[in-house]
Amino acid sequence: MRFRLRIAGPVVAAVVVVSPMLREPTNDTYPLSTYPMFAFDRGVEHDIATAVEVDVDGDAVRLSPKLIAGTDEVILASVTVKRSIALGEAELLCGEIAERLGPGRTVDVRVETVDVVAFITAGVEPSGIDVKARCVG
Amino acid sequence: MSADVTERRLAVLRFLVAAYAAVWSAVRAPALLDPLAFADRRFDPVGPLGLLDGPLPDLVLIGLVIATPVSCAVFALGRFPTISGPVAAFAFLVVTTYRNSWGQLFHTENLVALHLVVLAVAAYTRSDRRWAVDAMAVLTVGTYVVAGVAKLRISGLAWLDGDVLRHQIAFDNARKELLGDVSSPFAGWFLRQGWLLGPAAVATMVVELGAPLALLGRRWALGWSVMAFGFHVAITVFMAILFPYQLLGVALAPLLPMERLVQWLPRRSRDLTEAPEIKPVE
Repeated sequence: MRFRLRIAGPVVAAVVVVSPMLREPTNDTYPLSTYPMFAFDRGVEHDIATAVEVDVDGDAVRLSPKLIAGTDEVILASVTVKRSIALGEAELLCGEIAERLGPGRTVDVRVETVDVVAFITAGVEPSGIDVKARCVG
Repeated sequence: MSADVTERRLAVLRFLVAAYAAVWSAVRAPALLDPLAFADRRFDPVGPLGLLDGPLPDLVLIGLVIATPVSCAVFALGRFPTISGPVAAFAFLVVTTYRNSWGQLFHTENLVALHLVVLAVAAYTRSDRRWAVDAMAVLTVGTYVVAGVAKLRISGLAWLDGDVLRHQIAFDNARKELLGDVSSPFAGWFLRQGWLLGPAAVATMVVELGAPLALLGRRWALGWSVMAFGFHVAITVFMAILFPYQLLGVALAPLLPMERLVQWLPRRSRDLTEAPEIKPVE
């Protein structure tokens, strides 16, 4: 009995932890993950959904994940903006951000086109900005 | 490994894993409560909570967020392990699953949740619990293998030339900057050293797909653990992504002779069950 448990315990653990390999690697879940997060070739140019405050001079001021999505998790903030745009809810999200910022502040929910390698290695600014929603708190 | 060594190692593992879970869930309690203010439309349940058709009631979430660090701390201290163990494992699994149910899957707490489940089950067996130590080691190793296999299945051998890694590092840091978060100050420098990226990609694959070698014996385990630790340090330095369970060494502990630390544990927590106290290390 003891011997069987000694073998069965690790075997069951192995089966459980590698079982996600039976799924498509993109079919991720928790806690049994396929760990696909660094597996894709994301390429160089990206459309990154974000939200900024627009100041009185019309310049963009970066907002924190907390102001954008009510969380300190940047990836969750990013996904929140991306999903809101995809679901046609950019105006709704914009209003929520403006409410967090306070009265009289202008918010843009937008998509920025970025060469991410040039941006990180040489500070090259986004090549395009597509405003999806603008609102004033 | 003798039964005595097994018990000591398991007691240390129980303390480390449960104490980590207690501290993590206490420190992250504000973030775990963030969903109280999220719009319901953002709810996207996953895993064990996949059947929920709406967010948890506020009081249930608050209760779980309080119960998680408390039960984990009680389990770490060896009090009522047959009760505190399952409660800790359940509460941690539910709060972390709920955290993952708002559109983004995180990959930092998976192993903690799985290790807690093994420890909770082990609290119900009273002799020869080597299976639990081995199961925890297999879970640690298995997560790396699955990650390595995902890279091969999605990108193939092209993952090894370094371009995929370059794009991942650049994208992750750019996203952080555009969304007002802290990015790595070393990422730009690293990406300009093009010759480093290929070897870094190969080293990543060696760590991930070579993980099962750590099960061959103590020296293999130590060697692989050092490499895995270095791998997570590199992720922290160049991507500003923290895997605290791995960086603190707790994830790697099932592979290592942790029984040597048993004398440092609080007296009561040296015992995994309510059985008589284990003798101190000679």
